[in-house]
Order: sequence, then structure tokens, then C-alpha cells
Amino acid sequence: MSASLVRQSLFRAVAKPSMLRASAPGLMLAQKRFASTENMTPAENIAYLNSQRQHRPNSPHATIYQPQVTSVLSIANRVTGVALSGALYAGALAYLLHPVFPIIDSAHLISLISDLPTWVKGGLKFLFAVPFTFHTFNGIRHLSWDVGKGLTIKGVYATGYAVMAATAVSSVYLAFFV
Amino acid sequence: MFKPSTTSSALRAIPSSSRTIASSSLLIRSFHATSSASLATPSENKPAQTKEFKIYRWNPDTPSEKPKLQSYKVDLSQCGPMMLDALIKIKNELDPTLTFRRSCREGICGSCAMNIDGVNTLACLCRIDKDVKKPSKVYPLPHMYIVKDLVPDLTLFYKQYKSIEPFLKNDNPPAQGEFLQTQEDRKKLDGMYECILCACCSTSCPSYWWNQDQYLGPAVLMQAYRWMADSRDSYGAERKEKMQNTMSLYRCHTIFNCSRTCPKGLNPALAIAKMKLEMATE
Amino acid sequence: MSLIRPTASTSTFRALGLGLGGRGLHTSRALAIRASGVRRDATVAADETGGFKYIPGGPILKGTVNDAVSDLPASRSHGSYHWAFERVLSAALVPVTVGAAVSTGSAYPILDGILAVSLIVHSHIGFDSCRVDYLHPRKFPVIGPIASWILKIATGLSVWGVYEFNTNDVGLTELVRRLWTA
Repeated sequence: MSASLVRQSLFRAVAKPSMLRASAPGLMLAQKRFASTENMTPAENIAYLNSQRQHRPNSPHATIYQPQVTSVLSIANRVTGVALSGALYAGALAYLLHPVFPIIDSAHLISLISDLPTWVKGGLKFLFAVPFTFHTFNGIRHLSWDVGKGLTIKGVYATGYAVMAATAVSSVYLAFFV
Repeated sequence: MFKPSTTSSALRAIPSSSRTIASSSLLIRSFHATSSASLATPSENKPAQTKEFKIYRWNPDTPSEKPKLQSYKVDLSQCGPMMLDALIKIKNELDPTLTFRRSCREGICGSCAMNIDGVNTLACLCRIDKDVKKPSKVYPLPHMYIVKDLVPDLTLFYKQYKSIEPFLKNDNPPAQGEFLQTQEDRKKLDGMYECILCACCSTSCPSYWWNQDQYLGPAVLMQAYRWMADSRDSYGAERKEKMQNTMSLYRCHTIFNCSRTCPKGLNPALAIAKMKLEMATE
Repeated sequence: MSLIRPTASTSTFRALGLGLGGRGLHTSRALAIRASGVRRDATVAADETGGFKYIPGGPILKGTVNDAVSDLPASRSHGSYHWAFERVLSAALVPVTVGAAVSTGSAYPILDGILAVSLIVHSHIGFDSCRVDYLHPRKFPVIGPIASWILKIATGLSVWGVYEFNTNDVGLTELVRRLWTA
């Protein structure tokens, strides 16, 4: 109600100057503009834009993005792969030093391990079995995607949970029952 | 954190009823005795539900100031259900300097793409979490250069889109009429042509975060495949040839963040996988 | 690095009937085909990738904002062949690993050798993928190439090391078996 009154009075205030309408062109010429523009060549334009772009910050990514089954399992696959491969490379490179350090060979390593208490051995086997089984099962999951199977969100989540379950079961079995 | 809630359900939530105002007032008068209990309460009677929104702010006029999160308190009972409603309410009533892109408010233009509570989505399709104890965090699309507040610089995204030549290329158009296409061939484009180029998927991809300038990203790759899969296009081989390098396509490691986050329920990861398989097996 | 792809423009050249004096240049379709061809000057001006120095503040635009990003040189050995080889190797590792697990390394030294080398090559491809993702030379002009060489040398030495281990020592399968049951 009050809004329409305001609207009416505004309209009256604006509609009054019928005499102004006659001199409208002259009024427009005298009108002040409070924003100014300047002429720029396209090259100057792009240089100005580039100078602005250099100050722009980069929006946060890994720190704010929600961890999801998709990304967490993917990075876990990479981390386990790098860890296992790193151990393999380290072992292979270490054995190259066997002629210089004869202590580096399988017999010494086996005796070192066998002297450890059972619970430590079980723990170490578990620590190795988890990344190995996870990377293997997730690798098979990856290969199934590569031939076109399970490429839906439902499929990704279902196979993701299956891989996690299979990893848990198989690594416990391998570590403590083999 | 592991809820596989489909984001397409947000689309179904958009009201589709087209009842006119005249007929609803007629209904109200005819069922007067029972209507008032079931109708919406007038807004003066609703209890206040104040929710905190923490929104990323950066001002290019003071570029040396680091970006920060600014807190706003909004009464949800006086606000529409979607995040965009909250942002517009904040801009109207609390802070007119808050800057964000928006247009259609119905999830079809792709302007309001941003990162809400850790997930890339469209603000106009993202319902506000009614749990007022938890603040809602609103960030711009991840790993993008920011023009101001929630506005990312999508220049590179569009340049990448242009590079895949997203138009029909066929040197032998039919002598008369249009290109004919069977229904089966047309079905192959379903799930790809609906892309609104909001950039939610590309900016959710960690590979795109690390190698934005050479990896094309899921949105552009899905559109590249959309043209490869179009039976009316005759440049499929050349389009595939463009992808034969280490970076443009093969930085994709099937992380699947893209399909998980698409606010339109599309599946870029599927299109990319199909593209890789076709390139390897032909 | 070549930025211009001759194949598309030559085929459109022929399609426009320019070589055969055919339909002529003035139909809208012909103009549309010509407009869709790769524009020589646009790609040369907007060279973001070839010789592009990565600047942390954001890519510097050359030409205009409307230029497409330039294409990278095509090479199947870096593209689909690499992808296919990686998948075939990973798939082959599954039966080889299972086979090695159920047999003794000393009984089947060739299988042991195949397993060891396949694992090293699989590891190399994995490490290389990490290197391209995180230490690309365009962002790390010094560490990037160094990392590439360190990886190649490490892989070569590891293959040698695994060969020596399989030949002079018990072999990979037998080592895992003995460690597991120690």
C-alpha cells in the first residue's frame, strides 16, 4: 500500500517537467558524466589485462575440496604404487652394492627378519600386504574401467567399497594366516 | 563423506507444477475450512533460523591483501532454499560488494558454478543445509585465477574449448536437405550434448589442477568426444589425432571426481574412457 | 614444435573446390568450412604451449583472449600406444604374480625373471606418470629434466640389480616366500 503511494509520488515528480521534454536535447548535452573512458589499442588492452592477471590469486583446491571415494582411492592407488615401487627399486639398487658390501644379500635379510618377535613379523607383513593387495585390486578395478565396465558413479562406489573390503580381508589373511 | 548421493536428484527438486494463481486462489476459497493448516505460514510467524555462511573474498582493488573467508549470518526462514538465494540475499541486505556470477537461477546457464562445502556445483541448484549449527563454506572453483570474490577467470577454459573445434565438420554435405542420422546414432550423443560448460567437472579434477595449461580437462574432453561420436561429423580421425600426446587427454587417470560433481548428472569420465579405448583399438 | 596441422587445411582446401574449380567459394557452406579451418596467424600468435614459459601469476595472453590454445605435436608412442602398452603390461602382471605366488622361484627361474622385469617396467611407467604430473619441465625447468634422467638411470640400474639378484641369489619370488615364512 505504502509502496504504491511512493511509486505514485515518484511518477508525479518525474512526469512534471513537460517543459523539460521540449528542451530535452539541450538538457542531454549539458548532462555531466561521472565515468570516463580512454581509448586503447587492442595491444594496449591485452597488456593492461595481462598486468591485472599477474596479481590474481589462485583459489584453494586440495585444502578445501571434500575428500570423496573417487579421489581418495585414486590417490591411495598412486601412493601405494609409489611406496611398493620405491621399495622394489631400493632393494634392486641395494643389491648392486653386494660386491662391495657382502652383507647385502637375501640370507642376511632373512636372518634379520626371523630374529624379530612374532607380533613384529605379523605387523610388518600386514604393513606390506595392505598396499600390495590394495594396489592389485584397485589395479584390476582400473583395468575394468579401461575396457568400459562400471563407468558410472554407482559402479565406481560399489567397486570402490568392494576393493576396500577385499583389501582388508586378504591382507589380514596374508599377514596372519600364511 | 562417502555418500554417493546423486546430484541429479537436485534437478528433480525443481518445481514443475504450472498451476496458475487464479486457480489456486479458487482452490483456497473452496477448501477454506481445511486449507489454512496445510498452506505455507506467512513469513512474519516463522522462527528465526540463523545460519553462518563463510564466503571467500578477494578484492582486486587491494591486491596485496590476501584472500580471506568472510562470515555472514542469514535468517534461513526469510531466504529461499538454494545457495544462490542466500548469496543474493547477502548481496542485497548485508554486503553489496560480494561479487559472483549468476543468470538463469535454474541450473541451465552454468554461471553460478562454485565450490560449496567442498563440492563443485551450481549455487542455484544447491540446497542450503538446514543444519544451522554448521557454517556453510563457499569458495570459488578450485585452482582457478580469481578475478574477484567468487568469480574465476575462465579464459583458459574457453580457449581450450575452442581448440577442439566444437562444431560439425563434414566435407560432403548432402546435396539436398540436412544430414540424416539414425535414432541409434543420435542416442550416442545423449549425456554429452546437455553439457552447460559450467566448469564444475574440470575444476574438480586434480590432474586439471596440476596441469591446467596443457591438459584439456573433462568438460572439454567430453565435448571433443561428443563430436567424435557424432555420425554426421567426418573429421573423427583428425579430432583423435589432436589427442595423441602425453598431455591433452592422457593426464586423465580416471580419478572420477568429474562425474561425481557434475550438477547436471552427466558422465565425462565415461566419454573420456570411450575415447581412450577407441583411440587404442582402431 | 609444429603448430600447424596441414592435413585439415589441405582437405578443406580440396573440399572448397578450389583445386578442382568446382562449386566455388561463395556458398555459405563453403564459407563455413573455410571459417572452421585452422587459421595460420591465430595459432602462431597464440602460442601458449610451444616455448611457453610458465608464470606463476597466470598465463600471459598473446594475441587475444579468443584465440584457441595451440595443439601439441602428435605422437602415438606418447599417446595411444603408451596407454595401450601400460594396460597390457598391468593386465599381464596379474597372472604372472599369481603364477609366481603359487610356485617356487627356484623351480621356475624364467617366470621369476619375467615377474621381476615386468614389475620394474610397470614401476617405471608409474613413476614417469607421477613425474609428468608433478614435475613437468615446463613448470620446473631445472628439476623436471633432472628427475627424468634420475628415473631412467634408476630403472636401468634396477633391472640390472634384479637380474643379478635372480642370477646370483635366490630370486624375487623365493625371497618373498622366505621372508614371509621366516
